Amino acid sequence: MLRYIARRLLHMVPLLFGVTLISFIVIHLSPGDFLAEIRLNPVVDPAVVEEMRRNLGLDQPVYIQYLKWLWAVLHFDFGYSFAYHVPVAWLLGSRLLNTLLLNLGALVLAWLIAIPIGIHAATRQYSWSDNALSMVAYLGISTPTFFSGLLLLYLAFVTGWLPIGGMTSIEYDTLPWYGKVLDVARHMVVPATVLAFGAAAGLMRQMRANLLEVLRQDYVRTARAKGLAERPVTYKHAVRNAINPLITIFGFEIGALLSGSAILENVVGWPGLGQLILESVVRKDLYVVMGALLLGSVTLILGNLIADILLAVADPRIRYD
Amino acid sequence: MRRSALALLVAFVLAGTTAALSAAAPAPRFSLPGIPNPGVNMRAPEIGKYGGTYIISQISDPRTFNPIVVQDTASGAVTGAFADGLVEQNYITGEIEPSLAESWSVSPDGRTWTFTLREGIVWSDGQPLTTADVEFTAKAIFTPGVDNSFRNLLTFRGEPVRWRVLDRRRIQFMTPRNQPPVGLFLRFIGFPIVPKHKLEAALNAGGQQFTQSWGINANPRDIVGSGPFILQSYTPGQRVILLRNPRFWKVDRQGQRLPYLTRYVILVVPNTEAARLKFLARETDAYGARPREFAELKALERQHNFTIYDGPETFTREFLVFNQNPNAPISKTKVAWFSDVRFRRALAHAIDQQTIINQVYAGRATPPTSDVSVGNTLYYNRNLRPYPYDLNRAQQLLAEAGYRKGPDGVLRDSQGNVVEFTIVTNAGNQDREAIGNIVRQDFVKLGIRATFTTEAFPSLVSKLTGTYNWEAIIIGFTGGIEPCTARNLWLSSGDLHMWNPNQKQPATAWEAEVDRLFEQCGTEVDQNKRKAILARFQEVVYENLPMLYFPYVKTQPALRNTIGNVKLGLQGVTGELETRYFKGAYRP
Repeated sequence: MLRYIARRLLHMVPLLFGVTLISFIVIHLSPGDFLAEIRLNPVVDPAVVEEMRRNLGLDQPVYIQYLKWLWAVLHFDFGYSFAYHVPVAWLLGSRLLNTLLLNLGALVLAWLIAIPIGIHAATRQYSWSDNALSMVAYLGISTPTFFSGLLLLYLAFVTGWLPIGGMTSIEYDTLPWYGKVLDVARHMVVPATVLAFGAAAGLMRQMRANLLEVLRQDYVRTARAKGLAERPVTYKHAVRNAINPLITIFGFEIGALLSGSAILENVVGWPGLGQLILESVVRKDLYVVMGALLLGSVTLILGNLIADILLAVADPRIRYD
Repeated sequence: MRRSALALLVAFVLAGTTAALSAAAPAPRFSLPGIPNPGVNMRAPEIGKYGGTYIISQISDPRTFNPIVVQDTASGAVTGAFADGLVEQNYITGEIEPSLAESWSVSPDGRTWTFTLREGIVWSDGQPLTTADVEFTAKAIFTPGVDNSFRNLLTFRGEPVRWRVLDRRRIQFMTPRNQPPVGLFLRFIGFPIVPKHKLEAALNAGGQQFTQSWGINANPRDIVGSGPFILQSYTPGQRVILLRNPRFWKVDRQGQRLPYLTRYVILVVPNTEAARLKFLARETDAYGARPREFAELKALERQHNFTIYDGPETFTREFLVFNQNPNAPISKTKVAWFSDVRFRRALAHAIDQQTIINQVYAGRATPPTSDVSVGNTLYYNRNLRPYPYDLNRAQQLLAEAGYRKGPDGVLRDSQGNVVEFTIVTNAGNQDREAIGNIVRQDFVKLGIRATFTTEAFPSLVSKLTGTYNWEAIIIGFTGGIEPCTARNLWLSSGDLHMWNPNQKQPATAWEAEVDRLFEQCGTEVDQNKRKAILARFQEVVYENLPMLYFPYVKTQPALRNTIGNVKLGLQGVTGELETRYFKGAYRP
């Protein structure tokens, strides 16, 4: 197992190299650069723009820029943001935890809701509650997060029960620790609900389908035939076997922990990575984009690895060595 | 010394603006502990009350807290609250008035300017603010690697301004032989002063170091200022909190120290929709509404206890420009059409400005004339009349230029080429996209095969300034109050002379005239003559139409009724931070 993990981690190196190289080239292939905005300022002299270009290192050939960036990254220096004049690592770091917090909250919420509901729906297939839950699930799958986000924000505005977007209130710094937790929780209600709703809907359908499949298997019939009660049949035998595909999904979800909420963050003003990355892509703030890409790739690869490991842990039949 | 400063101010004041006259009238003398001659704010209509947190929202995060390297408005909103310059602009009249410098004088040849700082003024950490700080700031501006937009303005025909410290309170600036105009020099010299004792180490380490110092990752306690507020905290993606600077150097008309507010908070919101909801929910006190929202918000005034004001036009100009560049990689036939002033005038007559005003701006805009917005009360040429929407006149002009509309309804030039071109604008700008669609339809009515598409902003700019591979572009420029600072756009040698950039010799007589006018504007001292020069400039642009302008858009600021000292100024500014106050109950 350890050898397998080491091999997978080693695979990451060429993979990340390829991802960053291709991204770097693609960014440079698309026309225009970070200085587009200042070029359109009639007061600014072109010589000044040229100097800025030199200061940013954008006057050098692409391969030199890439190699310099790569060399720095190997030393854990992710470069400077053109727009913010601060290290990319600081910039991403200042938002990373917020995004992580939101997505983890939503993830836990989604799984807590989806698994029991999925089991409930599978064991009572085509009952009115199954049908009703399926309806809700279709709604959840088909509603884009930006729309449900806006809807809930508007609800928050009309009722005045919840703050309109953001993550903390102005008085946050003066609050005691439990006040801070409550404050963030209040702000998290809208975005976490939206994310969890969408994710839970998919998960619940998955759980239901898997369980239905397993419940039709011969060993379940055998278990029932030898007189085992319905509860142990479902929970001890069927559910444990039905959950395997969900573990793979869990891995993917870990990979998406940093990117899954990007659009929603822009709607509800959650100060996460999504807003920052979107803006840097539009502005062509090169090293921020590269840093974000690297971060996203690493989490995706690690998420998949974790999923594979969990699968081996959960299912004795799966072995990698 | 003070008397001469006042005399100068009076000389700048334009007839008819009473607010400016009252600002120049002798202000009552007050004193603050240690400051015998504090600034007196005479512009505020009311005497305020102390206390309260004033909250606004903006769409972007600040990018830096370093006042010298600021290039964007989001950062400017923060640094503007804590960094003052030698002089400041009156937000109502646009005139230059004393700030950290209580007075100034100019030598008879107009090249040597002596500024005298107020006595006893200090930074927010208590350190004295002296000419050493002014000198340090000027040095920083001219240090290679310090990305800033002031160096450009303080360099006259390749020669940088020079300076000499006389004593702790007096500093001289010397301009090169071809002296810039009085008004312009004072505008350029208003750069924010930064503290030497906090930033000297960074500058000694190099220009790049200085550019990165006082970044958004800085400890707020290291950032000191001279303005009405000081930075308390910044939470990325959420808010900037500023606190009252108890050492601020200004008083109100009764001699009470400003500012009135205890806190000033700038919330970062993801979009205008969120900004609006937060304003209506009373989480914020001000909202810069979009033109389309004016009527809707007007109806909500009473319910949500605010007032939305009928503000003046901004300085921004939106326009359509045609590629007249003979070296552009587009068809020579098209360049020939676009270079014909009759063609451009015909198209100007074909643009239905009223429809744009009604459909895009819900009536909240004014028909355009030339390159200076009607909102720029200092220089707008009131004698020009907008090109009327007149398809017959347009067709007549096209016929005169040899264009014929065939029985198939398609317009052809004298050689029989079908007149067709593509208009592009940057994707994501809803107003420009709407304008583009209207204009396209207008041109189709003339038989022109016009198409309209959008493109990402950086890509559009690289075409406009790099490859020149474009036919017609809709874009906009924000403008300063001084039109003749836009040299890069208007000089025929300019890089941003979009329709035909980097000319060795002016290609046309009118471009030669604009070159001359800009040269005069750069050296003319007399304000009335400058007005005349700029009026002629607008006339030349109006007649030759290198760009077809779209309506000047009005502002519609909305403000909670509990806020005091509201008086609309240029571009819809509703007042000054230093005199803002809460009339009744306020948030702590």
